[in-house]
Amino acid sequence: MDEALRYMGFSDKKPDDTFMDMVYEVEKELLLACKPKYTYKIFDVKDISFEKNEVSLKNCNLVLKGKDITNHLKDCNKVAIMACTASAEVDRLMRIYKVCDMTKAVVCDSMASALAEQICDEAQKEITEKINGYTTWRFSCGYGDFPLETQKEISSLLDTPKTIGATVTESYLMTPLKSVTAVFGISDKPVPKKRMGCESCNMRENCKFRKRGERCEF
Amino acid sequence: MNFKELLKNKEFVFFDGAMGTMLQQKGLQAGAIPEELNVTNPDWLVEIHKAYIENGSDVVYACTFGANAYKLSHSEYDVSTLVKKAVENARIATKGTDALVALDIGPIGQLLEPTGTMTFDEAYDIFKEVVIAGKDADLIVFETMTDLYELKAGVLAAKENSALPIVCTMTFEENMRTFTGVSVSSMALTLEGLGVDAIGINCSLGPKQLEPVVKELSQWTNLPIVVKPNAGLPDPETNLYDVTPEQFGEQMKELVKYGVKVFGGCCGTNPQFIAETVKALSKEKYNPQTAEIPVAVCSATKTVVINCPRIIGERINPTGKKLFKQALIDHNIDYILSQAIEQTTAGAEILDVNVGLPDINETEMMIEVLKAVQGITDVPLQIDTTNPETLEKALRYYNGKPIVNSVNGEEKSLSTVLPLVKKYGACVVGLTLDENGIPKKADERFNIAKKILDRATSLGIDRKNVFVDCLTLTASAEQEGVMETVKALKRAKDELGLKTVLGVSNISFGLPNRELVNSTFLSVALANGLDLPIINPNIASMSGAVRAFRLLSNADKNAEEFIACYGVKTEQPKQTVQLENITLEYAISKGLKSEGAKITANLLENTDSMEIVNSMLIPALDKAGTAFEKGEIFLPQLIQTAGVAQACFEVIKEKLSKSGDTQTSKGKIVIATVKGDIHDIGKNIVKVLLENYGYTVIDLGRDVESEKILKSAVENDVSLVGLSALMTTTLPSMEEAIKLLRENKPDCKIMVGGAVLTPEYAEKIGADFYAKDAKGAVDIAKKVFY
Repeated sequence: MDEALRYMGFSDKKPDDTFMDMVYEVEKELLLACKPKYTYKIFDVKDISFEKNEVSLKNCNLVLKGKDITNHLKDCNKVAIMACTASAEVDRLMRIYKVCDMTKAVVCDSMASALAEQICDEAQKEITEKINGYTTWRFSCGYGDFPLETQKEISSLLDTPKTIGATVTESYLMTPLKSVTAVFGISDKPVPKKRMGCESCNMRENCKFRKRGERCEF
Repeated sequence: MNFKELLKNKEFVFFDGAMGTMLQQKGLQAGAIPEELNVTNPDWLVEIHKAYIENGSDVVYACTFGANAYKLSHSEYDVSTLVKKAVENARIATKGTDALVALDIGPIGQLLEPTGTMTFDEAYDIFKEVVIAGKDADLIVFETMTDLYELKAGVLAAKENSALPIVCTMTFEENMRTFTGVSVSSMALTLEGLGVDAIGINCSLGPKQLEPVVKELSQWTNLPIVVKPNAGLPDPETNLYDVTPEQFGEQMKELVKYGVKVFGGCCGTNPQFIAETVKALSKEKYNPQTAEIPVAVCSATKTVVINCPRIIGERINPTGKKLFKQALIDHNIDYILSQAIEQTTAGAEILDVNVGLPDINETEMMIEVLKAVQGITDVPLQIDTTNPETLEKALRYYNGKPIVNSVNGEEKSLSTVLPLVKKYGACVVGLTLDENGIPKKADERFNIAKKILDRATSLGIDRKNVFVDCLTLTASAEQEGVMETVKALKRAKDELGLKTVLGVSNISFGLPNRELVNSTFLSVALANGLDLPIINPNIASMSGAVRAFRLLSNADKNAEEFIACYGVKTEQPKQTVQLENITLEYAISKGLKSEGAKITANLLENTDSMEIVNSMLIPALDKAGTAFEKGEIFLPQLIQTAGVAQACFEVIKEKLSKSGDTQTSKGKIVIATVKGDIHDIGKNIVKVLLENYGYTVIDLGRDVESEKILKSAVENDVSLVGLSALMTTTLPSMEEAIKLLRENKPDCKIMVGGAVLTPEYAEKIGADFYAKDAKGAVDIAKKVFY
């Protein structure tokens, strides 16, 4: 909930009770509508190349490309690749709100984004509990120089249309809208959970958090 | 033996088991394209097919599951090559046996609209290519489908480009729904309507977990049922399934009682599973389902069984409705959608959709409205048009099993409408009129009903899908005719056993206290056997009469629905704000929507509407805008303010429309989220705010082609276009749209906005203005329309 309110722009200043009543109402409908799903696969690292700036995996055609993802995974011997969705029902709820009540649509949009992150947390928790090791934080397509195009390859690798009902459009966006793909590394030894920071973010010029002097999770 | 003979003559038919699982064992890498093996390793496929045939499969699926243009876009092989090669490989394996080859077609891999961006026609074309390439197969199988709409596109592509038998299996989760929410009944009603040869279930779960789904399906179809379950559930870590071949066979045997005719396996199964299933069923007998399927219509997610009176909402119709007509002319789809939501909230179980108006393209509008309404509500729809072209397109693009309103006893109508009803498997309303008009007497109307029914059944339309409308005449003009309608209705119901429809509201035209006349007539008609009253459900006494009748006729058992609707006092002890104590400005700033509307209504009694707009609403909005800019309030609150203002404007609009005044618009603006982009919330926010400030906004939606933006800008001769894009990948579409507008409508200004845009980038791609937020867009509009 705090996360969702932060997405909406509220930071230290909380909205009044009438507004919060509406927020709780949306939360109720959202939780009723959503059918959260996630899927993942874990691969052994084949090679991490700093010359080519890419990470290749054993028994897997997917090559993770880019300086940032290579750095991110540099101390890892396994990589978890995951995808999650808040479901098409959430898109439908959003469509209804957009017709009847734009305020609820805006609130629901933020809450559904927070929800998608929570589903990712669930998945990561499940993997971490299963695997004896230390994990990095989640890295998503489009972060830094990790290409958004990889989203399509991850979708086909995990067969997301079949496993969670999510697909990637021609312009590499996910549908249902509140769906996420992510990659994180697994290592035998502790890995520093250092954030990328604004410097390597391609949203830094018009980030709403930065404008307010705050930071996001990146 | 061909497939249809096989279904008829063999006790049980056996399909094959998993292909992917077998290929992985042979060394297929994760992420690789299995269909390419048809060229690179054909021996693998022939071996697998042979193993299935040796273990009892009557039909093997060619390795074509993902061989479509979308999934092969990065492959070095094209669809035609791989599909042809796959069928050939399967043929090599079946040589010398009686086994048949199925062209196997899986989901495209892209969600269709409304959640995704792929259109129905694009899906159709993709399937068409596969169907044509696979023409040498013996049958076509669609499997692992989760979206009924995509499947409908596939079935039509198959039917219209091939004469092969069609089998469809969809994938259901434990909640008895597919990922896109499709119910078992909707699948059965829709596919049986489209005329496929067998339907069923594959993947997701093991035979045991699928039992409830199979049972449900058996209650909705008399077609042969196909079941291809997984080998139980997989372990997420090892990917191994938990059911052995012996257990699988035993569990499959348990499904015989539900009328399953065709057995096979999906993920995790292998030839042994098929052998064990054949063995387990060797002493069993096919148990076809003979139960009568209820009369029902559906969307993809909701089935309405017509086993008691069901309310059809009449409000999506321009006849006599000024605001609705204006909405059609202005292309204001949201207004139409709000009518849909209002009616379903009030209790409508089916919605009639009529968008016929001179000067608009009815077919285009019908398709757009149908798709949009189906995107926000799950009730089935009744397609109401007199234009055969509109009807055909509507039937094509509708998702589910609709009602066609209507056919009548005229030869021209019978010969154009009924074949379409048959092709698309709809229900149809027969109006009891013909070349000679509406007969005065009940008996003559009954005869026309009979004629329509006979004609429909002769075309192969199931008689239960024919409904009769005995036509309501206006009591003020033809008083003696009222009871003739009721008499005809009763005869059609009793003697022909057909469901009956009646548009109720006409009865009171020209009379005072119409509500009283309408609800009384409705009660009379219900008591005489009316099943589908077409009414305004927003009027409490009308939907109430239907609910009360359902209670009195013992359809609403234990009065559950009635008590749920009327028994509980829904008034919550909400803190009521004393209207007289608050101003319009206060209501707006606090987000009090209904209060704001009420205050506006009160003010209108003795204040000029423009005065309210200019000296109260606009200043309140400006104030909120300034507070937003200063960071005192945030986006949701700004929108909330705008929402209240919008409610106030609605009140004013209605008053103006009643008094015949027309509002002056400050200017027309076309807005759109560009091609490829599906994040449109920002654009919608901009729309609300612009409308607040008196601009007419033509909203083209999301994922909009540049040509469509240009077309709308030219047709409406607008001087401002707003474009939004959220992702870097869609910025090129924005640039393209700007270029097209510049070349063809140079007098038009362009503003752009969206998360990834910056003022510099906006300038670089040639926009006139960069709107940093919704407030900024309003400021730009003010500059353009000074």
